[in-house]
Amino acid sequence: MDRKALLIDYIKDEIMRNKNAKLDENEDLLSAGILDSLAILQLVAYIDKELAIEVPDEDVIYDNFKSINSLVSYLQRF
Amino acid sequence: MNDVIIIGGGPAGSALGAYLSKAGISNMILEKVIHPRPHVGESMVTSSTRVFKDIGFLETMEREGFIRKYGASWHAPNGHEFAIEFAEFPQEGIDQDYTYHVDRSKLDLLMLKHAEKLGTKVYQGVTVKQVLFDNDRATGVRVAIGDQEVDLPAKMVVDATGRQTLLGNQLKIKVKDPIFDQYAVHAWFTGVDRGSEHTADFIHIYFLKVERGWVWQIPINHEITSVGVVADKAVYRESHNDLEGYFNTHVITNPDLAHAMQNATRINEFKTEGDYSYSLSKFVGNSFICIGDAARFVDPIFSSGVSVALYGAKYAAERIRIAFETGDFSEEALKPFETRVRAGVGIWYEFIRLYYKLLPLFTHFIQSKEHRLEVLRLLQGEVYDRREVPVLDAMRKYIESVEQSEKHLLKKSLTNISID
Repeated sequence: MDRKALLIDYIKDEIMRNKNAKLDENEDLLSAGILDSLAILQLVAYIDKELAIEVPDEDVIYDNFKSINSLVSYLQRF
Repeated sequence: MNDVIIIGGGPAGSALGAYLSKAGISNMILEKVIHPRPHVGESMVTSSTRVFKDIGFLETMEREGFIRKYGASWHAPNGHEFAIEFAEFPQEGIDQDYTYHVDRSKLDLLMLKHAEKLGTKVYQGVTVKQVLFDNDRATGVRVAIGDQEVDLPAKMVVDATGRQTLLGNQLKIKVKDPIFDQYAVHAWFTGVDRGSEHTADFIHIYFLKVERGWVWQIPINHEITSVGVVADKAVYRESHNDLEGYFNTHVITNPDLAHAMQNATRINEFKTEGDYSYSLSKFVGNSFICIGDAARFVDPIFSSGVSVALYGAKYAAERIRIAFETGDFSEEALKPFETRVRAGVGIWYEFIRLYYKLLPLFTHFIQSKEHRLEVLRLLQGEVYDRREVPVLDAMRKYIESVEQSEKHLLKKSLTNISID
């Protein structure tokens, strides 16, 4: 599974807790209230564990976590 | 002349009585009420097991069938659950991977009886009016028996009066914590849905969305569950003393908690705990020692209270034994007790502050490969024999990086708690 699919599955299953949720790749996860502060760190922990990418503390910013697509493009640098 | 008078027969006083009796130092516990009596503080950390073993009380804990606590679970407001299990982090000198949840009226009575069996003289229903002093040296206590007052001399006086802080008040050395002014509203319930079988007997902590707000769920026995809402006192004040309304208002804000409480029935009156955290400016003086909550109280988020009381008793007993050997009961001779206990409780306190400073960080750390075991070590009460606690430094560093970075997404989750 590619990164994008993994992230979408994780957000639906573990954060939204609804496998059938609608999740647009460009949807603003933060303003839509999908990612709160706990969920952001959950996601960081998941990325560390499943993708073996350690997101540096200073990179936990809006630009990188805005949407699925922005997160995937941010992760491309690793 | 008595050797040691211990004021208060809670876990701190009874454990100390037991240690001293085992060491052949005669001692007496003066307890204000007649046990059993209700008390808050119903969950423990695993380090307590060491003290129970020391004083030969572990068999009683097992025999009495207290609920075994194998772990802890946190529930975020978004419905996510994070759990830890004590089995992941074995502790030296402890052969069991669980601690206990207790009905304190039962535990405290059993511990008092245990001290008595080991030789401690126990007098219940005796109110100590004050500790007697000759200049700054404690010389005994004044007790009220019926309408009479009687002075009892002693070589050593120990204040184990808990949150009553008899000596702290008498000597005016009690200092309110500048940061934590939390307030708890709690009661016992039946019919609480404790969740999946695997974690049903864990302590469950539910995060609330209000400032420093959380709820405990502690199994007392197979039917009864203790549930308490803790929040900043300012949050409580908004409720205008409507305990039931306050409690219910917060319970429904966390979906997991609302579910757990759906069919719950309250079986006793709501109780409240205020004036939350404090410390005495000193824990020892000439011929006296203050232990447990009588010396210091920190926020109970990590179930540290009984462990702090038991280790206070352990370390006080060591110091008192040395004092009787050398004949030196001076503040200076007793000071190593204070240094040790202060260091341990200081680690709890720092952990608590960092936790409240940035709540998401704690759940992040317990999920991280790098820090998980270090966090477990703290959660299991291993705070006394360590000079350095790298995980606290790592938490601090993370918080600083959030504070300093302009755009960090967790910036708005930072509370105004000082961590310096």
